[in-house]
Amino acid sequence: MSEIFGWTGRALLVDLSTGITKRIELEREVLLKFMGGRGLGAKIVYDGVDPRTDPFHRDNILVFAVGPLTATKVYTSGRYCVVSKSPLTGGLFYSSSGGFFGASLKKAGYDAIIIRGRASDSVYLYIDDEEVKLEKASHLWGKGTKEVREILKRDLGREFRVVCIGPAGENLVRYACIVNDISNAAGRGGLGAVMGSKNLKAIAVRGSRKVRVADPDALNDLMEKAKIRVIWNPILDKALAYYGTSSLVNIINEHGMLPTRNFQLGYFEEADAISGETLRERIFVKRASCYNCPVACKRITRTKSMGGEGPEYETIGSLGSMLMIGDIEKVAEINYLCNDLGLDTISTGVTIACAMELSERGVIDEKIEWGDAEKVKELVGKIAAREGIGNELAEGSKRFAEKYGMSECAMHVKGLELAMYDPRGAFGQALSYATSNRGGCHLNAYMIAVEVLGVPYLMDRFSPTGKPPIVVYLQNLAAAIDSMVLCKFMAFEFDDEMFANFLSAVTGENYTQETVVKTGERIWNLERVFNIRAGIEPSQDTLPSRLLSPLQNGPCKGKVPPLRQMLQEYYYVRGWREDGIPTAEKLKELGIEPPEGWE
Amino acid sequence: MRVPESVYKELKEYCARLARRGYVTAHGGNASIRSGNIMWITRHASSLENLRPEDVIQVYIDKPSSFDAIASTETIVHREIYRRTPNLAVLHAHPPHTVAMSFFVEELIPPDSEGYYVLKRVPVVEGSPGSPELAENVANALKKYHAVIVRAHGVFAAAKFMDIAYQYICMVEHSAKILWLTECLKILGREIIRPRVF
Repeated sequence: MSEIFGWTGRALLVDLSTGITKRIELEREVLLKFMGGRGLGAKIVYDGVDPRTDPFHRDNILVFAVGPLTATKVYTSGRYCVVSKSPLTGGLFYSSSGGFFGASLKKAGYDAIIIRGRASDSVYLYIDDEEVKLEKASHLWGKGTKEVREILKRDLGREFRVVCIGPAGENLVRYACIVNDISNAAGRGGLGAVMGSKNLKAIAVRGSRKVRVADPDALNDLMEKAKIRVIWNPILDKALAYYGTSSLVNIINEHGMLPTRNFQLGYFEEADAISGETLRERIFVKRASCYNCPVACKRITRTKSMGGEGPEYETIGSLGSMLMIGDIEKVAEINYLCNDLGLDTISTGVTIACAMELSERGVIDEKIEWGDAEKVKELVGKIAAREGIGNELAEGSKRFAEKYGMSECAMHVKGLELAMYDPRGAFGQALSYATSNRGGCHLNAYMIAVEVLGVPYLMDRFSPTGKPPIVVYLQNLAAAIDSMVLCKFMAFEFDDEMFANFLSAVTGENYTQETVVKTGERIWNLERVFNIRAGIEPSQDTLPSRLLSPLQNGPCKGKVPPLRQMLQEYYYVRGWREDGIPTAEKLKELGIEPPEGWE
Repeated sequence: MRVPESVYKELKEYCARLARRGYVTAHGGNASIRSGNIMWITRHASSLENLRPEDVIQVYIDKPSSFDAIASTETIVHREIYRRTPNLAVLHAHPPHTVAMSFFVEELIPPDSEGYYVLKRVPVVEGSPGSPELAENVANALKKYHAVIVRAHGVFAAAKFMDIAYQYICMVEHSAKILWLTECLKILGREIIRPRVF
């Protein structure tokens, strides 16, 4: 490969079945077209996994990928993405995490780790720059994520960065996550269970190299500007810095959009007791930051009996208002438990909320009452261990509710439990949820920014006008940001032009606003094609029936997003067929070879 | 948090007036009303031309809250004004003649009798939008004056009543316009005749 900046141009291929590891060169064309992180991972899985493969089969591939901006001076550049076929949705899935692991992986000299096969016994992957080996992990198996990270750092050295799974991943809970550093998590989609299915408990990495930057002076200039812009930004420099993401609790509640009682309500009477203000007053210890981040939105917290990180806004919603638990200490403790067992807090909360509703209706025998935090803690343990009813809940809300013929009580899109914004209060977010390749995800086009926070401007949240093109644009941009790999919070201040400037300075390639967004569009379409071939039809671009019926009270009373109308325009803007299938022409335009027989 | 109807009506009325006069454009400008330890302030990125009830946000005077995130970027300035002065209403706009004049003067001394009588003088201060420095400078100036100009930015006015704050903003802009016109006439060679009584 010719001289390369930003990327390392190398990946580590790990075959767990044979125990063979080897370094491979990545094609420059692939890096240019798919950038890194989510895009690079998607390309590798798209090329290497039959869409009909069982996610837990040894043929499924698990990719840990970083991007061209990783471990540079660009803010939030310590992140990484995990990409695989999801056991929760069955689709091509990425999950991103902050912390420091991504930067260390890049400094060790890799753009990606590609994991195939299945180890006959539990192992962990050791990477110390050039030295790579698979080590036995029987002493780690069964242990929580906090202890695993501590043991490996103690045994290998404090400079090692560790990603690992907890018992939930080992037991193939379909929404098990992968945890690293200060309880950062690649939370969604059950990729921790894929890791567990491969008997891979952890990856420990230490890297000592510097990333080569094409134009260091240009990057320095950009970062001077970036610093000022971040300081001026009220969301980044004030709300997130002071309260963390929990600053959203009262705001979203006052908009009548805080999912409450399994999305039966949009307003939680006790929201203030789980708000950012209360968190700060009662359990806040100190702020914490990911790699090279000026915002430091993480919260180190402590209750009377436990300590840890968080809870974040999404966790407060899913383990608080969704379950009618109006006590920040109790929510925090359930959150600590999930982090240690390796469970995605959103899917855990939404699935338990579904169980509470089924219990209330007398559909299941188990007594699970709204607001019973102790029962929730018990259930969390059972889910991770797949014990008793926990074994059913470990399948996720969709499968659980279907088993009892109560699909309408499962709050998911495409199998992924919904995030904590009731879409009846933000029509653009409704479209974003419905069309997300991941399913019920808020991060693929965070319309809350424009519909509630007024960033970069404020749109009428109850109007469909103009929403489809914005959703498409934000989805494409999000795919690009996930591929650089940066934190999406940076998009509260930086636009596609700034991202293009970062990329140009670091890689020496001529990135423009158009090429950044086009790259995102390419990734989006690639994921869509894989998912359709995996059986996720466009008919699944929808919302649970409950969310297409109006709320009876609160600021969103009587509002229903006109989803069908927005979907028609969305498909048109995407350049897809009216039935939501990407055309062969569109794929060719994006440089994607249409699959055989694709029309 | 729902804004009381009377507060909303007052804010909507005066924000619309500022927009009609061209003192704010698109999503610019902001306004607030104090009530005890809270203030009702316009939302970040809201349009003052057509303020909706949900464009008015409640925040505290004595401490920040999570609602600061969606309140006007200048919330910090309004808060500091209320902390340091007894005023109950604050308006902020970007009237063009005032902003233009701010590039050339350290203070605006109204050349017209009415402006001089009411405002006496209007200092020009500096500070980045939404910054603690701006909050400090504006609040200090408003302890002594009815209005203050922020260089290259706009004007803040504070009073007990919204109508009076609005009057101050109008007078600042009117005085700036008069000043600009008289400067133009001087350039055209007209000789100025100073009034015998002011």
